[in-house]
Amino acid sequence: MTTTITKTDTASIAQKATADGLRSRRAAKLWGAIGPLVIFIVMFAIVAILVPTFIGGGTGLSIVASSAAPILLLAVGQALVLNIGSIDLSNSALTVVGAILLAITLGPLGAVAPVVVVLVVSLFGAVNGLLVSFFQVPSFALTLGTLGIFQATALVISNATTVYVSQNGGVVSPLYTTRIGTLPLTFLLGVVVAVLAWLMLRFTRVGQGMTAIGKNESGAIFSGVRTRALKVTAYALSGFMSSLAGITIIAQAGSASPMGLGSDLLLPGITAAIVGGTSISGGVTNPVNVIFGALTVALVPIATAAIGIEAQAQSLVYGVVIIVVVSLTLSRNKNSIVK
Amino acid sequence: MNKSTTAAVPALRLTGISKTFGSVEALKNVSCEIAKGEVIGLIGENGAGKSTLLKILTGIYQPDQGTIEINGAKTKFRGPRDSVLAGIGVVHQEQSLFTNLTVAENISMNSATGRRFGTTFGIYRWGKLYKSAAETLEIIGSNLGPRTRVGDLSFVDRQMVEIARAIRVDTVKGASPIVILDEPTALLERGETEILEREIRKLKDLGSVIFVSHRLDEIMRNCDRILVMRNGELVADRPTSQVTEAELFKLMVGHESRATNHQRGKVNPDVVPVLEVNNLRRKGKYSDISFAAHAGRVTAIVGTSGSGREELSRAIFGAEKFDGGTIALNGKKVSGWRTPKAVRNGVAYVPAERKVEGMVGTFSAAENIVLTHPGSAAFGPIIMPWKRNQVARKWFAELDVRPNDIDQDLERFSGGNQQKVVMARWLNDPKLQLLVLDHPLRGLDPGAAETVNEHIKGACTNGAAVILLADTLEEALEMGDDIVVMRDGNITARFDVSVDDPSTLDLLERMV
Repeated sequence: MTTTITKTDTASIAQKATADGLRSRRAAKLWGAIGPLVIFIVMFAIVAILVPTFIGGGTGLSIVASSAAPILLLAVGQALVLNIGSIDLSNSALTVVGAILLAITLGPLGAVAPVVVVLVVSLFGAVNGLLVSFFQVPSFALTLGTLGIFQATALVISNATTVYVSQNGGVVSPLYTTRIGTLPLTFLLGVVVAVLAWLMLRFTRVGQGMTAIGKNESGAIFSGVRTRALKVTAYALSGFMSSLAGITIIAQAGSASPMGLGSDLLLPGITAAIVGGTSISGGVTNPVNVIFGALTVALVPIATAAIGIEAQAQSLVYGVVIIVVVSLTLSRNKNSIVK
Repeated sequence: MNKSTTAAVPALRLTGISKTFGSVEALKNVSCEIAKGEVIGLIGENGAGKSTLLKILTGIYQPDQGTIEINGAKTKFRGPRDSVLAGIGVVHQEQSLFTNLTVAENISMNSATGRRFGTTFGIYRWGKLYKSAAETLEIIGSNLGPRTRVGDLSFVDRQMVEIARAIRVDTVKGASPIVILDEPTALLERGETEILEREIRKLKDLGSVIFVSHRLDEIMRNCDRILVMRNGELVADRPTSQVTEAELFKLMVGHESRATNHQRGKVNPDVVPVLEVNNLRRKGKYSDISFAAHAGRVTAIVGTSGSGREELSRAIFGAEKFDGGTIALNGKKVSGWRTPKAVRNGVAYVPAERKVEGMVGTFSAAENIVLTHPGSAAFGPIIMPWKRNQVARKWFAELDVRPNDIDQDLERFSGGNQQKVVMARWLNDPKLQLLVLDHPLRGLDPGAAETVNEHIKGACTNGAAVILLADTLEEALEMGDDIVVMRDGNITARFDVSVDDPSTLDLLERMV
């Protein structure tokens, strides 16, 4: 029968097409999965070859990981917000607010202080989310506004000076001083939350819903996804990560100030998320890869200094490296507009 | 006009066109001719190769083998511009106009040579632009104002603009235009379809028409000759007078159309209806809407595009607000009605805008199926990928989704198969009680439409109530048990199909 022949024909063609599709998809998937790790290793190796002392006793990695820790925490939060197709420009300001709050409260409250800080700052994050989802203000504009508000808050509660931890500094300082191998606990904390974020996105309905929002918000709404609640959640989680970053700053420095440590982490945080393969237009991220994104972002300035590149040229090198790395890892498919 | 030359030299001749993507032969040795003044119907299932053929004609793809001749001269299209210059214009199913520009700008946008149409060295000469646009609109008998913003036009008027743009080439070199209408009626309401059909007859005098549609009755009405594609091959080339709809269906799908009569259930007055809508109103859209939908029955709502039925169906799903009145599910009034709540209460909605609203295109088919109702794929809030794949495989088998690749992004499936996956995600709800379908067969080939209809009926048999906004009145009459007719936001008639047995004319009278 002719009909049976055509049927098997189409079946085999379809099978072949499926196999082809699978192969190219697997290659893309594999690079998406390990690209940021490969890039970090390659760059670290280049630095190690140029400056052999850099890896001696793991000091290089230790310095890079310490510097990467707060970037990583913020970047994981940012990745979750980028994943729903929004952005959080206020996260580093929140970090500073959290750090100052902790510096003030550690004395009187002791071990309760970090818990209070985490709750308060997460709540601030949730407020961002509430405003974005219920008043439908574009997240870029809204968080640009709250960035200013949080900066003002930091100035007010700190009296515009550096706040030193008066007592109980020991509650948080082990986070920085304790090392496992050569890596500080602050960095490992970042790794743990990154893995948890990955598990959430991959294996929970909440995470799948968030990714659905980022990929196609109206599609998600019409699928019955609780878009408002999930947006608030994503921003609250970004606030949560900011509070953790604030704690690591106190653990490291023992003091906080409105323009000090943490206040300039906004762009490195976004960069780390993107280098880790997060799409700026939403719907694509892998928090585990953000770990390597943060390491890469932290490595470049340290490496340029170690290699002995002139100060004036360091920003140039940083810029060029970031462009190259992002072009290698940024997730894009041919139909989506990279904004 | 010299009749003998037109008869001898076809406006378009394709010889042995083949095109392969990877290992898939999308087109296999396709040859055909189209004479000037001829209307050709092109039909085939989704994935039969129609779109590939059209893309070759419009210069988007280059054929691997074979030749294209325009008026007897061999041509190669290196890009869309060459195709436009050769006189080929396309009216797309999903319109490709610039809604923020005027009619005149849109019409001239496509013209490969600007000067005569109101631009000089790329600089707009508005007076000339409007004048030449008005001339073109006159040729197709449209009285649209060239200064109107396209965004302010109705759908059918926009299609007129597309047609004007497509025939624009005629005035370039006196070449006879070949207008490709790619499912132009898929999104049109009944009255609008007639306007378009009149337009097709007019186009015959100007040039040739290639008419692509899934609606076999339209093809039979409008075309002189019908080309049928299946699996990348041209399987039939018949004059319309020598073929029947049933034969066309068989040629396209490969099997005979299955009997579609379904058992119409009786309304049990003792059972509370699944959905009761009472005096529902929304300012400027609809008012005083009261009707009920019963378990096991399909309630078809018919009306033109301004009738308010789309807005009504979205209000029932909680996707749009309403100003007053009540919606009750199983006798209980709902409050704070939004989509997540509707979904939790077993209400499902298949939107007409499938790609934008109906699915998350860059999620895999499996992820789409479990996004709304994970069913056995989730343990509380946790999703188990292996269970998800089981669920997806089950539905792929049940609905015969092709290709059988549950991990492929949903946007990469053809329209019919996408719609099957969209259906699956709602059918995966064990508590499904109300299925709201807004044009569920839009853009589907007859084979896929048959599968989707079978599962709509299956949902009914399992005790769900269905609200159907059908593409055509015939579809509404075939599928519907109850028919609610709407006009300008009001219900103008109700029919119980098994009792009243209304005709399409009965419905039409109350629609317009």
